[in-house]
Amino acid sequence: MKQTIFAVARSVLAGAVVLAAPVAIAQNTIKIGMITDRVGPAKGFAEPVAAGAVYAVKELNAKGGVLGRQIELLIEDDQGRPDVSATVARKLVDSGVAFILSVSLTPATQQAQSVTLETKTPHMTPSNSGDTLTTQISNPNFWQTGPLGSTQIATLLSYARNKNFKKVALVTDNSDLGQLTNRFFKSALENAKIEIVSEEVVPRGSTTADPQMQKVRAANPDAIFLAGVLTPENALILRSVRQLGLKQPLLGNYNFSIPVYGAVAKGLLDGLAFVDAFDPAKPQTRQFIENYKKDNNGTEPYNLNGYGYDGIIMVVDAIKRAGGTDKEKVREAMQATKGFQGVMGGVGTAYGFADGKRVGFDPNGMVVRVYEGDAQGKVVHIGVK
Amino acid sequence: MKSLAGFLLAGLVLSAVAFMLGSYHTDVYRKLLLWITLALGYNFLFGIAGQVAFSHFTFYGIGAYVMVILLFQVGLPLPLAIVAGIVVCVVLALVVAVPATRLEGFYLALATLAFAQLFIVVLNEGGSVTGGPGGLANYRLPDILGVRVTGPWYTVVIVFLLLGTLAVLWRLDRSWFGRACRAVRDDPQAAQAMGINIRTTRIVAYAVTSALAGVAGMVYAFVDNTVNPTIFGLENAFLLLFMVIVGGSGRPAGAIVGAILLYLLPFILSPLIGHHHALVFGVVMVAVVLFQPKGLIGIWDGWLARRRAAS
Amino acid sequence: MSDFVELMVGAMASGCIYALVALSYLLITRPTGVINFAVGEWAMLAAFGGFLALSRFELPYPVGMAIVLVAMAFVGWVTERIAVRPLVEKGAPPLAPILALLGMLVVFREMVSVSMGPDPQPVPPMFGYGRLELGLVAGSYQSFFIIGVTAAVFGAAWYFFERTLAGRSFEAVAIDRRAAALMGINLRRVTALAFAGSASVAALAGLLVSPNVSAHYLMGLPLAIQGFTALVIGGVGRVEGALLGGLILAIAEQVTVRYAPIPPGLAQGVPLVLLIVFLLVRPTGLLRARESRA
Repeated sequence: MKQTIFAVARSVLAGAVVLAAPVAIAQNTIKIGMITDRVGPAKGFAEPVAAGAVYAVKELNAKGGVLGRQIELLIEDDQGRPDVSATVARKLVDSGVAFILSVSLTPATQQAQSVTLETKTPHMTPSNSGDTLTTQISNPNFWQTGPLGSTQIATLLSYARNKNFKKVALVTDNSDLGQLTNRFFKSALENAKIEIVSEEVVPRGSTTADPQMQKVRAANPDAIFLAGVLTPENALILRSVRQLGLKQPLLGNYNFSIPVYGAVAKGLLDGLAFVDAFDPAKPQTRQFIENYKKDNNGTEPYNLNGYGYDGIIMVVDAIKRAGGTDKEKVREAMQATKGFQGVMGGVGTAYGFADGKRVGFDPNGMVVRVYEGDAQGKVVHIGVK
Repeated sequence: MKSLAGFLLAGLVLSAVAFMLGSYHTDVYRKLLLWITLALGYNFLFGIAGQVAFSHFTFYGIGAYVMVILLFQVGLPLPLAIVAGIVVCVVLALVVAVPATRLEGFYLALATLAFAQLFIVVLNEGGSVTGGPGGLANYRLPDILGVRVTGPWYTVVIVFLLLGTLAVLWRLDRSWFGRACRAVRDDPQAAQAMGINIRTTRIVAYAVTSALAGVAGMVYAFVDNTVNPTIFGLENAFLLLFMVIVGGSGRPAGAIVGAILLYLLPFILSPLIGHHHALVFGVVMVAVVLFQPKGLIGIWDGWLARRRAAS
Repeated sequence: MSDFVELMVGAMASGCIYALVALSYLLITRPTGVINFAVGEWAMLAAFGGFLALSRFELPYPVGMAIVLVAMAFVGWVTERIAVRPLVEKGAPPLAPILALLGMLVVFREMVSVSMGPDPQPVPPMFGYGRLELGLVAGSYQSFFIIGVTAAVFGAAWYFFERTLAGRSFEAVAIDRRAAALMGINLRRVTALAFAGSASVAALAGLLVSPNVSAHYLMGLPLAIQGFTALVIGGVGRVEGALLGGLILAIAEQVTVRYAPIPPGLAQGVPLVLLIVFLLVRPTGLLRARESRA
C-alpha cells in the first residue's frame, strides 16, 4: 500500500516537474532584442549580420543557454528608417530585453540611441562602422564593436607605410556611411601628412564613374583610397579604373571584403588591397566556419555573419558576468569586457573597452588582404604597427 | 459653436489616450498623429487644390532642421525660435510657391521631386550647420518657464498641432477659398471666367499647406531628438501620396483613414509576413485605384448611402 | 584633349541610356497621355532577366537578349491590361492610371527584392569589357555598343512614326483620340502595342546599362527620374527629343563633374538645378512637337 502511494506520489511529482519545466523556461528566458533592416537599403548588410546572431543564439541555447536560462532573440524590422528604429527600440525595451543589438543603418542606430539613453538600456552595434555613433551622443549604455572607419584607415596606412605614398586620391559615394568613412579617411591621411590631390564622389544611381576617375587620373596620385560602401557604385569605380588604364594601387575600406564583389566585379579585383576583420586561418574562425556550415546545409559563412555572432557572444558573456539582467549590472559588466577573443579580428587580437571607451574593436584587430584574381587572398598585414 | 465643442472633445480624448500608453505605444501614437497632420495638409494640396507636389515632406524636414538650428546654433530663446521658425517656414513656402505654381501637373511633380532631392544634397553638404550626413542630435526641448515638457505632455502638444492644422484646413475648405481651389483644379478656364485669380489661389494653397508641414516638422524635432537627412528621404513623399489616395483624396476623413492604415500596416504585418509588407502596399495601392478610386472613405460613403436608401 | 573625347564617348553612352528610358516614356505618353513611372522598374526587371539568361543559364548573348526583350514586351502588355485598360474603359480621370502605375512600380520592385534578394548580380556585356581606340576616339566596347544600338532603335522609331501607317495611327491617336477612333483606328490595339513597345525599349536600357552598373533591385528609380528629366529637356512632342534630351543631360552632368571647380558633393545638385531651371523657363522642352499638317 505504502509503496503504491509512494509510486503514485513519485509519478505525480515527476509529472509536475515535467509540466512546470516548459512553463518555467517560457517565463524565464533571457530576452535579447535585435533591430535589423529587412526591406530597406541596408538589407544586404543587415540580414547576414542578423543571421550570424541567430546562429549564435541557437548554438548557445544548445549548450544550455546562460545562467541556466534559455536565450530568446526578439527581432524587429526598422525598414532602414531611423524614426522607425527608435520606435521599435521602445517596443523592445517594453518587452523587457536585457540588451539591444542594432545591425541596421548607421543613422538608424543613432536614432535608436535616443531611446536607450533615456531608458538606460544596454545597447550595442556589432557591425556599424561609423565613428560618430559613440561620439555624437554621450550614451554610457551604448557600445560599438564594428570595424570603425578610423581603424580601417589606420590599418591601411600602416600597411602602406613602406610604400611612401606622398599624394593620393580619395573616392567615395554619397551614402551617409560613405561620406562618414570618407571624413575619417581624409583626416587620417592629412594627419599622416599625405596630400589628397583628388577627392571624388560617385552618387547613387550613376551610370558611370568615368568623369570622376578621369579627374583622378589627371591628378596623378600615388595611390587611390576607396571609402564608398555602395556595391554597384564601387563596381563602377573599379570598371572605370580598368577602362581608363589607371595603374595606381587601390586600397579599399572593409566594404570590399564582402563576397558579393567576387560576383559583381569579376575581373576587376586583382591586386585590390582591402581591410577586413576576418582571418579564416585563425583557429576560432575556422571552428566557426565549420560549425556554421554544418548547421546551414553547407552554406559557408563570411565576415558579416561573424560580426553578428561575436556580438551575441559578447553580450551574453556580459550578462553572465553580471549574474542577471539588471541593467546597471549588465552595463558595468559590458564596460569591463577585456581581452575577449572572438571570431572576428586578426590572430592575437581581442575585443575590449579599455579606459571607459565604448568602442571595442581592437585597434590592431583589422587585417589587410589583397585580391588574387577574384578570390580574397590571404592576410598580408595585421594591425597598425 | 458645435464645431468648437467637437474640437475640444476630440482634443480631450486624444490627449487622454496619451496618458494611458506605455513608452512604445506613445512613440507609435505620436508619429501617427504627425503623419495624420501631414496627410491632412497634403490632402488639401493634392486632393482639393489638385497640385501634384512631392515637396510636402521636404517642408516637414525644413521645419525640423530650422527649429534645431535656430535653437541650438543661433541660440535663440524658445518663444523667439518658435516665432522665427514659423516665419522662416512661411517665407520659404512662398519662395518655392511662386515659381512652382507656374507649372502644371507632372511638370510640378518633377520640379518638386527635384527640389526634394536638392534638399537632401544641401543637408549632406551643409557641414556643421546641418550636421552633414550624420545630422544633428544631442539636444532636447528647452524648459518652458522652468517646466520640462516631456512624455505624454509633449504628446498633448502634438494633439494641439493636429487639431490646429485640421481647424485651419477645415475653415479654408468650407470658405470660398476652398471652392476656388476646387474650381481651379477642375476647370481653370471656367474659374478664371468667374473672376478667380488662378495664380493667387494656387500660391496661397501651396504656401499655406507647405508652411503647415513645416510647423509640423518643428514639433517633430523633439520627438526623437534627432534630425538627419535619411529621415526625410524621398520614399516618404510617395508614402504620403499613397496615404491620401488609399484613404480618399479630397476628404479630410480620407486622409485620416489613409494615414492610420498605411502607417500602422507595417507594424501589424511585419510579425505576420515579415518583409513582404512593402509588396502588400503596392498591391493595395493598385487595387484601390482600380476598384475604388474614391479611396477607402468611398467604401464607407457607399455603405452609408445604401443604408439610407434602404431605410 | 584625349580626356575630353574619351569623356564624350562615355557621356554619349550614358545619354543613350537616358534617351532609351525617355523614349520608353514617350511611347506611352504620346498616344495615351499617361506617364508611366514604372519604366525604371521594367529596366530593372530586364536587367535581372539578363542576369538569369546570360549569367545563370549562360545562353549566347543575342539569344538571351531576344528572350528578355520578348518577355518584357509581354510584361508591358500585362501591365496595361491590369493597371490601365480597366481605368480607361471606366472613364477614370487621367491621374488614375498614373497612380496605378506608381503602385505597380512598388509591386515590381518588391517582387524582385523578395525573389532575388538584395545583392547586386552581374550581367555580362555583349562584346566583353575591352577598350576600343580609333585615333582620338576611345571608349569601352560596351559604350560603342550602347551608342550603336540606341542609334538603331531611334532610327527605327523615327522610321516607324514618320513612314509607316501604323506609326501614323499612333500620331493620330496622340493628336486626337476621339477623331482617331472615329477614323477606325483601334484604340485598344494602339494602347496595348504602345505599352509592349515601351517595355521592350525600357528592357533594352536595362540590359545595356547593367553590365556596368550590375542588376540590383534599387536601380529603377534613379533611371526613371533621369529618363523623365531627359524627356522634359528634349520635349515630349518628338522622338528625336528623347535622344537630344538624354544626350544633353548626360553630357551636362559629366562635363560638370569633370571640369567644374565645385566640391564633388555639390556636383550632384547640378542636374537637379538644371531640371528646375528648365521646367521654369522652357517646360515644353527644346524641340517643339510637329505642327499638324493642314
